Amino acid sequence: MSDMTTQDIQSVIVPPPADSLVLEAKKLSFFYGTHQALHGVDLPVKRNAITALIGPSGCGKSTLLRILNRIYDLYPGQRAEGEILLDGENILSPKVDVTALRARIGMVFQKPTPFPMSIYDNVAFGVRLHASKSSAEMDEIVEESLRRAALWDEVKDKLHKSGLGLSGGQQQRLCVARGIAVNPEILLLDEPASALDPISTAKLEDTLEELKRDYTIVIVTHNLQQAARLSDYTGFMFLGKMIEFGPTADLFVTPKVAKTGEYIGGRFG
Amino acid sequence: MIANPGRAARRKLISGLFTGACMLATGVALVALLLILWSLLTQGLSGINLDIITKDTSAGGLRNAIVGSVMMCLVAMVFSVVVGILAGTWLAEIGGDTRYGHTVRFLNDVLLSAPSILVGVFVTTILVNPFGGASGWAGAVALAILATPVVTRTTEDILNLQPSSLREASMALGASQFVTVRRVIWKAAGAGLLTGGLLGFARISGETAPLLHTAGDTQFMHEPWWDIPGMMSNQNASLPVMMYNFALSPFEDANKLAWAGAVLLAFAVLGINVLGRWLAREKKM
Repeated sequence: MSDMTTQDIQSVIVPPPADSLVLEAKKLSFFYGTHQALHGVDLPVKRNAITALIGPSGCGKSTLLRILNRIYDLYPGQRAEGEILLDGENILSPKVDVTALRARIGMVFQKPTPFPMSIYDNVAFGVRLHASKSSAEMDEIVEESLRRAALWDEVKDKLHKSGLGLSGGQQQRLCVARGIAVNPEILLLDEPASALDPISTAKLEDTLEELKRDYTIVIVTHNLQQAARLSDYTGFMFLGKMIEFGPTADLFVTPKVAKTGEYIGGRFG
Repeated sequence: MIANPGRAARRKLISGLFTGACMLATGVALVALLLILWSLLTQGLSGINLDIITKDTSAGGLRNAIVGSVMMCLVAMVFSVVVGILAGTWLAEIGGDTRYGHTVRFLNDVLLSAPSILVGVFVTTILVNPFGGASGWAGAVALAILATPVVTRTTEDILNLQPSSLREASMALGASQFVTVRRVIWKAAGAGLLTGGLLGFARISGETAPLLHTAGDTQFMHEPWWDIPGMMSNQNASLPVMMYNFALSPFEDANKLAWAGAVLLAFAVLGINVLGRWLAREKKM
C-alpha cells in the first residue's frame, strides 16, 4: 500500500442525472463511539439501477450501507451526521418512523439469515408486519417473490419445511425473496455472494439483473468482476471516503483518480 | 525431524499424566453415582409396587406425596417460567447493559446460590405465620423463588447465543423489537428455553428444606381430589418431605416407603434432565 492517508486525494463524483435519483446521501459522517468511520461521504443512487460499492476491507462500504436503512440504530453509541434524502425527506431525522423506512428500504446481509420457520413463513414474515392479506393473496405474494428470487422451482414442493434446511445459496435467495416480498423501493445487499459457491453466485446475479427493472439496488461487493458485470454506477471507497463515483464502465476503464486505478489494477487492497 | 526429542518426550509424559488424572477424577464421580443408584435400587426397588400410586402414606402408599409434589412444582413453574423468561429476555435484549440491568443480574445470581432453607424461612415468615399455617400455596411460592433465577439465567444465556444477524434481519424487514423477540428470537431459542424450564423443574422437585415449614405434611389425599384450590390451601405432602420424615422413623415400613420415594424421585429428576437435553439437541440439527 503506497500511503495510508486520503489528505491529498481529490474525490471525483460523476452523479447520475438529478431527476433519476431516488436516494441521495450528502456529506455523510459516521461514528462508532468516538471512532469516525465515514468522512463526509456523498452517494447518489439512481432509480431502477444497480449501484455497486467497492473498496478494500474496512473502507466503510458496509457501514455506508447500514446507514441507509438505519439498521445502526440497534446499537447505542453509533451515530450518523449529514443528510440522506429519500423523496426530499432526510431519513436521518429522529422523526422518521424507522419501521416504515425499513419497509421501503430492504436489506440482504452477507451471511444468509433465514428465520427458524418454514420457507413460506420466512417470505410472509415481512408482509404480515405491514399488511393483512387473505391467504390466497399471501400465497400469490410468496410464489411471486420466490420466483423473482429464482428459488421457486427448487422449493415449491417443500414450502412448509424449515428454511434452515436449505443450502447456503438457497438460503441467500430465500433472504432476497423475503426482502422483495414487502415490495421495497430500494434493496441493499451487503456482499450477498461472499458465502456462496460460483453456481449460486451466478444464480443470484441473474436474480439481481432481473430485479433491477422494478427495484433500485445498492450492492457492496469485494468482487470487482461482479461490480463490473452487474452495476450501472460504481463508487470506490477508501479509508472512509468516497474517492470516486461514476458510471461503472467509465470508472473501470478510465478511472479519474489514480487511487481508483491502483485498486482496480490490483496494486493494493 | 523432531528438534528436541527430550522435550517432546517430556510433553508426552505430562500429557499422559494429566489425561490419567482426568480419567481418575471422572471415574471417582461415576463410581459415586453408581453407588448411589445401586443403594437406591437395592433398598428401594422392593418397595415399588402398585400400592405406591394407589394408596396414601397412611396406608403404605405414596399417592398423596406424589400428587402434592407434582402440584406444588407445577404451580411454582407456571410462575417461574413466566417471570423468568420475561426477566431473562429483558436482560438479554433490552436493559441488560444499564445500571439497573447489572443490579438485577447480580441479585439474580445471589438468589441462584441462596441456601434453600433461607427461602423456606422467608416464606414461612411472610406467608405461613401471618396466614394461619402451612399450605400448598406457600410451598409453591417457596419453590417458585428457587426456580425463577434458574429460568432467568438460562433464558438470558440462551438468548445471548442467538446471532445478532438474526435480529438485524428481522428489523431490516421493518419489524419492531417486540415482534423480533417474540416471533424470531424466542422461536430460534425455543428448545433452549424449554430446557431452562425443565432444569428449573428438576432443581425444585427434589427440594426439602423450603417445603418443611411452608407446605407441611399430611397422611391423606385431600378430598375430593379435584378440589385443587382446596388441596393447595391446606397442608400438602411432598416426596422429599415424606422421605425426610419417614427415613428418620423407627418403623421399618416407613423406612421402606422412604426408599421407594427416593427411587421415584431420582428417576423422575433423571428423566426430566434427559428429556431437557434431548430436546435441546434435537433442534440444533
